[in-house]
Amino acid sequence: MTHPPFAVLKLPLLLLLAALLLAAGGLLWGQREAKEAATALQRQQTALNQARQQLDRSSQQQQLIATHLGDYQALVSRGFIGPEDRLAWIEAVQLANRDARLYGLNYRLMPRTASPSALAQDLPLGQTRMTLTFPLLVETDLTRFLGALKARAPGVLRIQGCRLSRPDHAPFEASSQPHLQAECDLLWFTVATESRALK
Amino acid sequence: MILDHRLILLATPRQIGVLDWRPGRMHWLGEFPADASGLAAFRSIIVRHTHLPMLLVVDTVDEDYRSEVLPHVQGRARDEMLARKLRQVFRNTRFTGAWRQARETTGRRDDRYLLAALPDAEWLTPWLSVLHRERVPLAGITPLAMACQHLLEKLREQSAHTLLACRLNNSLRLSYYHNGLLRFSRLIGGDVPAPLPINAADEIAKTQLYLSGQRILPREARLHVLLLDPSGQLDSAQAQLNADPAFSTRRIDMPSLARALRIPDDFLAATPEVAPLAAIAGESLKLNLAPPELLQHHSEFRWRRGLHAAAGILALLGLGVTAAYWLHARDLDERTRLLTWQYQQLDARYQTIVRTFPTQAMPPEQIVQTVKLARRLDQTQTDTAALLATVGQSLLAMPGIALDSLSWTDETLAADGEIQVSLDAGLSPFDGNYRVAMQHIEDFMHTLQAMPGVQAVTLRSSPVNADSSSTLSGKTLNAEASDAPAARFGLSLRFREVRP
Repeated sequence: MTHPPFAVLKLPLLLLLAALLLAAGGLLWGQREAKEAATALQRQQTALNQARQQLDRSSQQQQLIATHLGDYQALVSRGFIGPEDRLAWIEAVQLANRDARLYGLNYRLMPRTASPSALAQDLPLGQTRMTLTFPLLVETDLTRFLGALKARAPGVLRIQGCRLSRPDHAPFEASSQPHLQAECDLLWFTVATESRALK
Repeated sequence: MILDHRLILLATPRQIGVLDWRPGRMHWLGEFPADASGLAAFRSIIVRHTHLPMLLVVDTVDEDYRSEVLPHVQGRARDEMLARKLRQVFRNTRFTGAWRQARETTGRRDDRYLLAALPDAEWLTPWLSVLHRERVPLAGITPLAMACQHLLEKLREQSAHTLLACRLNNSLRLSYYHNGLLRFSRLIGGDVPAPLPINAADEIAKTQLYLSGQRILPREARLHVLLLDPSGQLDSAQAQLNADPAFSTRRIDMPSLARALRIPDDFLAATPEVAPLAAIAGESLKLNLAPPELLQHHSEFRWRRGLHAAAGILALLGLGVTAAYWLHARDLDERTRLLTWQYQQLDARYQTIVRTFPTQAMPPEQIVQTVKLARRLDQTQTDTAALLATVGQSLLAMPGIALDSLSWTDETLAADGEIQVSLDAGLSPFDGNYRVAMQHIEDFMHTLQAMPGVQAVTLRSSPVNADSSSTLSGKTLNAEASDAPAARFGLSLRFREVRP
């Protein structure tokens, strides 16, 4: 048995080689099958986890929508959501001026700008500055005007600041002529819908 | 063991018998006389079994055994030493062999060998020619006494000095075993065609004397004689031997032998010569008298069988591992299908929920965020009337101060959430006494500071700058002067509406 008689062992050696190839082929094939199956399982497991998370999220969203949809639609009606309606704003300040029985006003609307990110919080929130200048008889006219404006305002409005001054520095006297000047900065806020989101 | 299928040939100068053996099953193929017809019949049997290994057991008078103690060597040195020794002892005998039986326990711890030979084996040549011509894998040639040694093992015979008297084929074989290992064997009446009357007791006694004389058997040793005789002719010898204190005898009956060899009783009774053949059939060959050239085909056979076995094992192993992988993959597939089904269930529920969502541009989270932002913008607006009321009350408390302008900036959306207020006013009337004016301004600031929601009232501009680092100029005034200058000043403060 020390020296194999190779001459007569060709067929058995070929058989051994064939068995080796068969075993190796089967092993590789089996490994590949198992690996592919494991990959498919992993992929499906991941998809299932994502679907489960998606379902949880959608349930939460459903609850959120049920809670907030009414308020949201009211905001859409007010004009807070969607494109800005400048004519409605001008109309509102005019009506507020008339409601407060004041003496007319000047307005100036600036171009719309994006709100600070701290306020917007990733929402497409924009703000339009409106400057109003109008005469007053007494200081309380201002509060009446601002109250009337809030009642008339079709969107979300904030009084950014006002300045009351007496341009002629005349002493107070009982008169029906307005001696006070008011200048107010207003901010009209709007949230653009996706198609017209602010850049 | 399933591959352990072989032919055991029992050759005597007069005939040759063939046993087809495999574990648990055997078949006697017949006996063939040593003539032309027998040779032809033997050849026809062999041709049908050339794929099986064969062991040739020789039963002849011409056997020679020699015990030798030789130095303990191994490997090629042992082979060379034994070849030399066999040539020295048996000269040019073709069929010789050596069996290393044991190692001495004392001295140099030499090896004890049994050397054996078939000095006159010409009668074997026709049978061997058939085997060689048909390329039969001959595993070896061994004397019948070796087969009988395995028979003793099967019978669990454990006496130190055993003489097996075996009467088969009209001849009597006496074989001596020391501790179960063959030391000597002789055949009486084997080469004569007709049966001769043999006095077995005498032959056994003679053999005992020979063994003692050759110092193979110690003089004081009591020889245990086993009588194996299917024909029952040795029964008379048993009585004679029992009368001699140098012997103890035991007769081996056929049922016990059949049980020990696990072969059917009737088969053993019909062909009792298969007993030693069946005993040696499954054992490894210890004493092989065949020259190497006769074993060439068996060597090839073993290589071939080893390679076939390796290929088979490899294929089975590969098949097994492949099957295991395949089953594992199917198990994974099944789990994947289950997960897919679960996924479809979840997705269907998700789609059901999503269908209830209103069709609008914003996702639900942004809807909530937008609503909350609108509430914040609406609710954090400071009431202007409260600011004006606070300033107005402070002015009422200080009638000498006239308001020129009031401005504020709403910063309630910022972190501090306050209104920055700037106030410009003047003292009226002002008599030019800045000390008194500053005192009034100070009082006014205290009044403002005391109002609810007012914080950090600071003097932004003063009627007069009395700082050493600046130039100060002016004129004093008559107390009755009508156009008294105003003492104007500016204040800054922070206002936060006090909500209930």
